[in-house]
Amino acid sequence: MRKILILALTLLPFYAICQEFGFGEITSQEKDFNRTQIDSTANAVYLNEYGTTRFSYDSETGRVKLVFDYHVRIKIFNKEGFEAANVIVPLHRTGTNDDQKEFLSDLKASTFNFLNGRLVETQMSSKAVFTEERSKYTHLSKFTLPNVAENSIIEYKYTIETPYIFNFRTWQFQSEYPKLNSTYVAFIPANYKYNISLRGYYPLTENKAELSTACLRISGKEMDCSKITYSMKNIPAFVEEDYMTSPSNYKSAVYFELSEVYYLTGSVQKYTKTWKDVENELIDSKEFGSQMKRKDVFKTIVPGITTGLTSDLQKAKAIFEYIKKQVRWNDYYGKYCETSVKEVVDKRSGNVADINFTLISALSAANLDVEAVILSTRDNGVVNKLYPILSDFNYVIAKVNIDGNSYLLDATEPLAPFGLLPLRCINDQGRVINLKKPSYWIDLKASKRSSTSHSLIGKMNEDGKINATVTSHSLGFNAMNLRKDMKRYSSLDEYVEKLDERLTNIKIKNYKIANVDSVENALVQEYEVELNVGNTENTANYFNPFFINPIRSNPFKLNQRNYPVDLGAASEERIAISISLPEKFQIKEQPKDISLALPNQGGRYILQTSLTDHNLTLSQQLLFSKAIYSPEEYHYLKEFYNRIIQTQKSDILLTKSN
Amino acid sequence: MKKISLIVAFVAISSIANAQLYAVDSIPAPLKNKANAVVRESKTVVDMRSVTNVELNTTNAVTVFNKSGERYAQLALFYDKNTSIKSVKGEIYDEFGKQITKFSLSNFKDESAVSGFSLFEDSRVKYYIPQISSYPYTIVYTYEIRNKQNLVIPQWSPVPGFDIAVEKSSFQFLQSPIDEIRIHAINYQGASEELNYEKQKSLYWSVQGIKAIKKEAYAPNPETYFPSIKIAPVNFNYYNLKGAYTDWQGLGKITYDHLLKDRQALSPETIASIKDLVKDETSDRAKAKKIYEHFQKKTRYISVQIGIGGLQPIKASDVDRLGYGDCKALVNYMQSLLNVAGIESYYCVVEAGEEKTDLIPSFASMEQGNHIILCLPLKGDTTWLECTSQDAPFGYLGSFTDDRWVLACTKDGGKLMKTPKFEAITSRQIRIAKLSLSKNGTVEGVVNTTFDGSQFDNHAYLLTKSAIERERALKYIYDINNIEFKEISLSANKDMPLFTEKLGIDIDKYGHANNDKLQIRPNLFNVKRDVPASRNRTLPLELKRGYTDIDSISFTLGEGIVPIVIPKTMKTETKFGTYEAEIKMLGGQLVYSRKLVMRDGIFGANDYEAFESFVNEIANYDSLKLTLALKK
Repeated sequence: MRKILILALTLLPFYAICQEFGFGEITSQEKDFNRTQIDSTANAVYLNEYGTTRFSYDSETGRVKLVFDYHVRIKIFNKEGFEAANVIVPLHRTGTNDDQKEFLSDLKASTFNFLNGRLVETQMSSKAVFTEERSKYTHLSKFTLPNVAENSIIEYKYTIETPYIFNFRTWQFQSEYPKLNSTYVAFIPANYKYNISLRGYYPLTENKAELSTACLRISGKEMDCSKITYSMKNIPAFVEEDYMTSPSNYKSAVYFELSEVYYLTGSVQKYTKTWKDVENELIDSKEFGSQMKRKDVFKTIVPGITTGLTSDLQKAKAIFEYIKKQVRWNDYYGKYCETSVKEVVDKRSGNVADINFTLISALSAANLDVEAVILSTRDNGVVNKLYPILSDFNYVIAKVNIDGNSYLLDATEPLAPFGLLPLRCINDQGRVINLKKPSYWIDLKASKRSSTSHSLIGKMNEDGKINATVTSHSLGFNAMNLRKDMKRYSSLDEYVEKLDERLTNIKIKNYKIANVDSVENALVQEYEVELNVGNTENTANYFNPFFINPIRSNPFKLNQRNYPVDLGAASEERIAISISLPEKFQIKEQPKDISLALPNQGGRYILQTSLTDHNLTLSQQLLFSKAIYSPEEYHYLKEFYNRIIQTQKSDILLTKSN
Repeated sequence: MKKISLIVAFVAISSIANAQLYAVDSIPAPLKNKANAVVRESKTVVDMRSVTNVELNTTNAVTVFNKSGERYAQLALFYDKNTSIKSVKGEIYDEFGKQITKFSLSNFKDESAVSGFSLFEDSRVKYYIPQISSYPYTIVYTYEIRNKQNLVIPQWSPVPGFDIAVEKSSFQFLQSPIDEIRIHAINYQGASEELNYEKQKSLYWSVQGIKAIKKEAYAPNPETYFPSIKIAPVNFNYYNLKGAYTDWQGLGKITYDHLLKDRQALSPETIASIKDLVKDETSDRAKAKKIYEHFQKKTRYISVQIGIGGLQPIKASDVDRLGYGDCKALVNYMQSLLNVAGIESYYCVVEAGEEKTDLIPSFASMEQGNHIILCLPLKGDTTWLECTSQDAPFGYLGSFTDDRWVLACTKDGGKLMKTPKFEAITSRQIRIAKLSLSKNGTVEGVVNTTFDGSQFDNHAYLLTKSAIERERALKYIYDINNIEFKEISLSANKDMPLFTEKLGIDIDKYGHANNDKLQIRPNLFNVKRDVPASRNRTLPLELKRGYTDIDSISFTLGEGIVPIVIPKTMKTETKFGTYEAEIKMLGGQLVYSRKLVMRDGIFGANDYEAFESFVNEIANYDSLKLTLALKK
């Protein structure tokens, strides 16, 4: 107990009270702050960060807006940390009027250096701020602090006025640099109600709500606010790891979404409250629900596509194929149509919603039971499931129900087979939106395991060369990725030529590739090859039989893992080799048979070798039965790979009798 | 009535004509071979009406065969205060030459073209990416751009890149008969056609039937085999800067007089502090080195594109006050600091990049060069400084600016100078590893490596990384299963480019123990990778930089391992380099040594096969496996 107490004391936060700090009032503790207290490898550390957001009422226009004040003090330890002195503040806009854009004001920035024991301040001139018009919707205010050196302390503060009250202002506790103290104070008027959610792995060190009287004045009426303080101390830097989904899933932050506003007149405007409200909002929307019902557009087209097809599944597949071929995705995400189903059919291109509502309308024109599923893509993070936050969703797909089975369809990916979503959509759960029934959650998983099987049948000559035929069958994401790769070349000949150039010791003499375009079937590749596995000059000869997709390097190199490992989909690879050896050859040694398994049936690796009548056969199976592994399972995964690599180092020892 | 039908007939005919024009069928077969796209017809007209009005008019028709060819159908038009897009329109046709869609400027997206963290840059881009669901298709477009300057005239490059063929392409330059211009043609057969009118002179170039060029590994600088025409007018106007030049001497003079002079004043305090800094040094070199170290500590690189269209550096006094600047500003500032100590230096324009690109000695023009470095003509010891790096050793230019012609802008005008070349024998990576090998295959010990010359940069970037990132990066560099670093110590010499890496390593089960044998690959750290095989190599082979690698690894054999190996020497030598590796027992230790010297040079396309087999032979030797017997 005593030990814990001491530990707690030494970790006692630097700043006792979470409140705004005076500009340039640098304490001696801060001046002498040593990074080993939080992270000895940090290039820069946020000593203190404080932000507030409050409402303000403009009596001239009668509009409310948010005022966000931000203030930060950062100590820079080395040159790599100089990046922290280059600041970009994005300002959003939806139009050119003042109430359609954000403003930056009251920017103040200084660098503090300690020269001969004296604190020297260099102020940044206001001329040093430059605005870049990044796009129609985003302007970037950019500035960099003057005279930055190792051990400088930089400090800046600014105010942003924003008309976008819906998401209030998100506060990011975690960034690329560690923070000693980060405090956010939200003043929310009593008549505004927000859904608030906290993300990340670290707990708040302080979270309190107080009453703040007369914090907003609207038409002479004073209103009270809840003053909510969120505070976190000693926050580690966020370091991205391999095989992880969007950092936003793991970074500590507070998010807001407006749910209700009570007006002075007594009326209530509900924004997002229940899924029922969300469903109604979506279904009534011109860019959503109305586009689900455009079967009229396909009245004459669909019968043509489905002629002669009897089962619903066949019809659905034919329509899916048709839409994929007919329209082209413009690379934009979205859950709302940019144009309309009608226009998409005419122009043959659109964003995700445009295309998938076109698919939904076409499927319903064939009287199929079809629904929409809204989701958040992998790079957009997982959605909050405690209450509906519509702005979390950035994508929409179709779900068609046939004979008790349901199929998730995304027509933006021409190489996706029926029922297999592109990897970007495989992200936890999506919400099914039905025109007539209540909405519900659905798992977004790869419907098919990604699998590849290679089989090699060959004959070894006396000179050690092997002539063989390799046949590979690929399914799921493996097939989708291979097809994508093949499509990059002007012909399959060229693809194979490049492949041949990449493979040393393997010469491709002939090939056959089937089903590149019929994505519903396995992609089949057949190669006639000549392998050079070693020389037989010596009477004893080793050769390594793991020449098809060998695992030589461990993808999990680090010893620590903080976040789950996400491989996207379950996968399986089988390799079967059968080689007939010349009469004179004997096998003296061969790899040991082995069977490895991951805990909780997470996967396995099996290797078997045998020799009968001068015929060497070797079969391998590598299976990952899950898409996501927890940080606790990381070490097993790492060791699993390690053992496979060790195993694949084993050679076959051949001896030649004269 | 008659009139109308005539018009209708005319419209109909023209659309049929178009249909025939862009049908994919009509592309000659050799041009489709290994091409992702074909330029069907391209016409570029540059009309230099005056020094402040140069109009560019381009019509392009490009057929795209597949996804990889799509980038040639995308249209990106850059503009800024001095460059405006006057008009653009286009159509897209299907395989048979039937029109699918049309577009105009309103279909373009508009974005800033500023990359990274850059202040005061106003370059913008309007771009159009066709959304066509099936291949092949043909995009045809026309645009007009007006330049309010004539210092930089758009270059004509009829072959836009790799894997695209050209059916026909032409370039016309219009000027007043009295305007003087200079022309530089690269890989263009024949001369231009010249036509003289009363008020206008026309120069015309054209190409046709160029097959797609395939990108090949170890090929020379693409500029040496793609055709292009560059034009530079003698009299120019650029953001109100007027002048005339015909050679590098003149252009260097203009740069010095109009862009650099009078921008080097420093405050009396700074002058005093620099004088104080060097007061104890006697040689110019020692003084310069002290100033350089002070300069590196004080400044950092920030892109600041301001001043005469981005050509003029911000004042030395501003850099002194702010502590940052771009390459121009930092060189100008460093030069002004050196002036205080009475040391002469030159502001030098260089085309930076891994690819060694010269400023063309016979053709001076402003658009050549993209970076500035500083040259100190110390007596018998010309020294070069990279001013945007806070870590570079004094006098070190990396492979970013080595071995190429650059322009020194001096008060007497410009002069071309060549930056130093890295020789194979002075670009060394020398590694000495003292390891122990136990009978279960585990390897432990220390690995010390030094890097110099062009190899200095190999691992030097690790210096700026945090401890976690260093470890992670090293695990990727030395990608050996189970490698753990017990000690990592890195240092760079400040006086000369010499980087030292000391590692304590531990590799569990590196060797593979099997019954009574232990197999290991004694070459742990330096296994040469195969080079891509090549069928029908067309481009010459270029080895850009030579180097020398030396590895000596000694293993103390653990208990239970029989200390006997059959000694083996592996040797090969070609015009590309020499290789020698040896394995033997020496003083009870297992010793592996390897020396590889790769030469630089340009070789013929038919030499590639020999190069490939040389490298593959080395790769084979490098992965030599050794079987050691275990005591029973």
